[in-house]
Amino acid sequence: MKDKLKGYKGKSIDLLKKYTIEIWDIIQITTNKTQLEGILMPRSEYSAPDFIEIKLENNYNVGINVSEIENIKKIGKREANYKLPEKEFPYNKDLPKLQLLGTGGTVASRLDYTTGAVIPSFTPSELFSSVPELAEICNLDCEIVFEILSENMKFEYWQKLAEKVKQAVDSGFDGVIIGHGTDTMTFTSAALAFMLKDLSIPVVLTGSQRSSDRPSSDAALNLINAATVAASDIAEVVVTMLGSPSHDYGLIHRGTVVRKMHSSVRDTFRTIDDIPLGMVRNRKIKTFKNNYRKRSRSETTINTNFEKKVALIYSYPGMENEQIEFYIDRGYKGIVFAGTGLGHVSTDVYNAIERAIQEGITILMTTQALHGFVGMNVYSTGRELQHLGVIPGRNLLPEVGYVKLGWVLGQTNDLKEIKELLLTNIAGEFIDREVPIAFNYNIDELLKNKKL
Amino acid sequence: MYNFDYKELGLKCGLEIHQQLDTETKLFCRCPSKLQGTREPDFNIMRYMRPVLGEMGTFDKAMLTEYKKGNTIIYEGYNDVICTYELDDTPPFSCNEEARKITLELALLLNANIIEEMHVSRKNYLDGSVPSGFQRTMILGTDGYITLKKGKKIRIAILSLEEEAARKIKTENRTNFYRLDRLGIPLVEVTTQPDINTPEECRECAERIGLLLWMTNVKKVLGSIRQDVNVSIKSGTRIEIKGVQKLSWITILINHEISRQLNLIEIREELKNRKVSEKDIPQEPVDLTRLMGKTGSKSIATGIKSGKKLYGLNFKGFKDIFGKELMEDYRFGTEVSSKVKVISGLKGIIHSDEKLENYNFSQDEIKKIQNKLNSKEKDCFVLVLGTIKELKKAIDIIINRIKYVFKGVPPETRKALDNGNTEFLRELHGGARLYPDTDSQAIMNTVEETKKIQKTLPNYPWDIIEDYAKMYKVEQSSIKKLIFNGQLSLFDSLIDIYPAKPSIIITTLLNTAKSIKREGKIIENITNDDYRKIFLELKNKKIGKEAIEDIMRLKADSPNLTIEQSIMNLNLESLSIEDLKIIINEIVIKNLKIIKEREMRSMGPLMGEVMKKVRGKIDGEIISKELKTQISNKLKEMK
Repeated sequence: MKDKLKGYKGKSIDLLKKYTIEIWDIIQITTNKTQLEGILMPRSEYSAPDFIEIKLENNYNVGINVSEIENIKKIGKREANYKLPEKEFPYNKDLPKLQLLGTGGTVASRLDYTTGAVIPSFTPSELFSSVPELAEICNLDCEIVFEILSENMKFEYWQKLAEKVKQAVDSGFDGVIIGHGTDTMTFTSAALAFMLKDLSIPVVLTGSQRSSDRPSSDAALNLINAATVAASDIAEVVVTMLGSPSHDYGLIHRGTVVRKMHSSVRDTFRTIDDIPLGMVRNRKIKTFKNNYRKRSRSETTINTNFEKKVALIYSYPGMENEQIEFYIDRGYKGIVFAGTGLGHVSTDVYNAIERAIQEGITILMTTQALHGFVGMNVYSTGRELQHLGVIPGRNLLPEVGYVKLGWVLGQTNDLKEIKELLLTNIAGEFIDREVPIAFNYNIDELLKNKKL
Repeated sequence: MYNFDYKELGLKCGLEIHQQLDTETKLFCRCPSKLQGTREPDFNIMRYMRPVLGEMGTFDKAMLTEYKKGNTIIYEGYNDVICTYELDDTPPFSCNEEARKITLELALLLNANIIEEMHVSRKNYLDGSVPSGFQRTMILGTDGYITLKKGKKIRIAILSLEEEAARKIKTENRTNFYRLDRLGIPLVEVTTQPDINTPEECRECAERIGLLLWMTNVKKVLGSIRQDVNVSIKSGTRIEIKGVQKLSWITILINHEISRQLNLIEIREELKNRKVSEKDIPQEPVDLTRLMGKTGSKSIATGIKSGKKLYGLNFKGFKDIFGKELMEDYRFGTEVSSKVKVISGLKGIIHSDEKLENYNFSQDEIKKIQNKLNSKEKDCFVLVLGTIKELKKAIDIIINRIKYVFKGVPPETRKALDNGNTEFLRELHGGARLYPDTDSQAIMNTVEETKKIQKTLPNYPWDIIEDYAKMYKVEQSSIKKLIFNGQLSLFDSLIDIYPAKPSIIITTLLNTAKSIKREGKIIENITNDDYRKIFLELKNKKIGKEAIEDIMRLKADSPNLTIEQSIMNLNLESLSIEDLKIIINEIVIKNLKIIKEREMRSMGPLMGEVMKKVRGKIDGEIISKELKTQISNKLKEMK
């Protein structure tokens, strides 16, 4: 009964039970003012309890107060009848073979017109129907690896994705596209970059900031751009998303230096501390940098070991020892600080930091300013923290620092080796020099400048 | 012009009226709802729209047609009045409370059932007029009615509150340019049931809904209200006429539409009599390009030279059908031709019911065409010139339109034209373009709030018009004009200040303002406070009523002057009777000759001279009285 009256509670569920009405029934409601006819809709759990929601004949949804209802009559039932498109994704032997791995997110989805809910749409024929241009770029194989919101990702999923990529490489795919929710795309791209550090084919994460159920969605263009990059010679884990508010070009960001920088705009992703690897426009790629790994026939190795007992702590005024002690007491193996400025935390938590390090916990410092390096020799706080044993994380983004520390701790328990691995450039996460335009790059300058 | 028996015809009309609300900010973001006119935009962004898969795993036809046009969209915006919401780059903010309350008041005035819990829906549009690809809309009232003068009730189906679309600036090389300033301004839509049975009823109903809207807080500028009329007759079909800008068009448009539908039905019957059927319609055109390569018709010859093709179609038994007038100055040929124009972009068609000499075809050429098309005396042939791609579309449109002749009137959306005619705009949209907005929560119209607003509802404007006209002894039409100008409350406040002569207030607000505007002056520079000050000065006898026009003219030219300063600048400080007597005396003495000649008839010319000196400084009646006394005294003296 519960699902048949999803979201209804209190007086409304009593009333619906009384008239034996279920969701999707076509009903006629008589109130003390008027008569309304429509389909009984499922309701959000958090909406007001004493209302009955129906979709009127003109397709508008309205909520009617139970206290005004005098009678309900069932007059029919609406059958949901979504049909898969009948078009096959065409095969062309001259085009590269790409695999699209689905993880959830809205990049490939369709709309339930009744509830407005976004349903993942992932069969090749569905994708071909909604983005037919893909067939001009590649032969596409699709697999849903999991269907989760990206905030619910965790290291086990990264491991599984890395294995899927490895399988794709081994079974001869020319490139992999990963459809991913944009919220935690940085974490996943960094994790894949560490786990698959000698990739031989492109692995391209993409998503959409406007879901593909709306005509203005960026999903189709992002998919087309991602497919173009996945067929290119950039054999790295990269993120490809629109580079401006216009539906014009995509930027190619290295997976270990990219970050979502805006909660909603289409061009939310930026390469931090560096310029993007390149851009993709009208199915052509232009690179801005030379130092990327090229496509090859060498073997792709995989190393998915990961230590999950790592915490990411945002430094702020008023922090207290006990917050850090909590992690020590719970057996955490590593802590990454998103420190203030050049890499600082309040002296108030020195005690806890000292204790953590004594107990063998690795502490890595990054900057919450996001842009720039930590500089822990400049102020006394930085020097003291280093003296306590905090490792300066150079230009690492806090999120990337978190993933890297988890991966490093997955490789070894030896403190010396941990430190050495942490400070080794494994997947392009460190930059040697920050070029002046990196902080505020714009496309016109990037197109003008000499390749870096 | 027309003499229809509407009852016999089974005329049914419905109205859909859209009106922008005059709120400070937009419906779902806090950008000012202010149009920027011709101001150059600060930035452009480019977008494409794509159709979305529908429930049935297919695309909506209307959406697919739009997508296949392959149009690029450029949005033009301003940093000071456009935010990332309008760019579809940020989710919606809360619903504008002011807009919701205005609509709630309207719903109550329309006796509607109030939707207590509103859900925002999305209505898909692929033409680019909304950057998200959909308009956010919600219904606030259902099942209401409005009463006409004779007591007839027209039912109101729904009252909705939605976002205005962006304003289209131009189309250039398959790129549509839209300006974002208009996007998101709150818009109410009133939809009636098809209860209207005569054109006059329709006009009256539109006027009453318009008055009701304009009494509340709506934008009072041209284009802020848009009326669509649905027309159907028993033997015809339902036609949507969009974009009726003036009330006076409504009756003409409906009559024309009835005429069009009746004539289309007549054509159907005539063809039946002629025993012509759908089978006789050709499937394929005949290529006449080579045949007509050296035609004397200049436009066709140049077209062919530039690589275009000339196609012909023969319609058996169609003589005089294309030439049949459907409504004034609009033949069946026009009907086919304008549909071709709108969809394919071609200039039109040529048909043999026209005078072909006008196209400079020779008799010999016409013969050749007839032979090639196998066109007989009782037939009609059609010629189309264009590129192969254009022709493919055009021929398709022509054949399908002609085939529909055997059914009757094709249901479609038509656009109202200035001359009272209509032309094809687009196919009727299918349903199910509406689906729930997942970005917003339900919006409540609580019972308490509704009760509160119910208590303070204003009177109906038509009652106000009657009452005011009686109370102030002025024309009903004047009060109606005040409402449509949005000046009723100003009138009320001026009456409070200067109750003596309401007609002066009416003249000032309606006639004087209009004539000053006609001089090209900016009437908007005169604020409501200015009007109040003018009438205060009038009441305190600081100025005469003759001065009002001069003060308004000056103020319209120099908005920075206060009313006091304007009066000073115009040298309008009031004149005492003593001073007036002296001035009149001077003028009388100067004009003794005229007085002698014309006696009392010298009043006219002398009054003119006095007015030159004292206009606006003292009441004209006092002047005239004083002048009369002085002249008659002088005459007595002379005798």
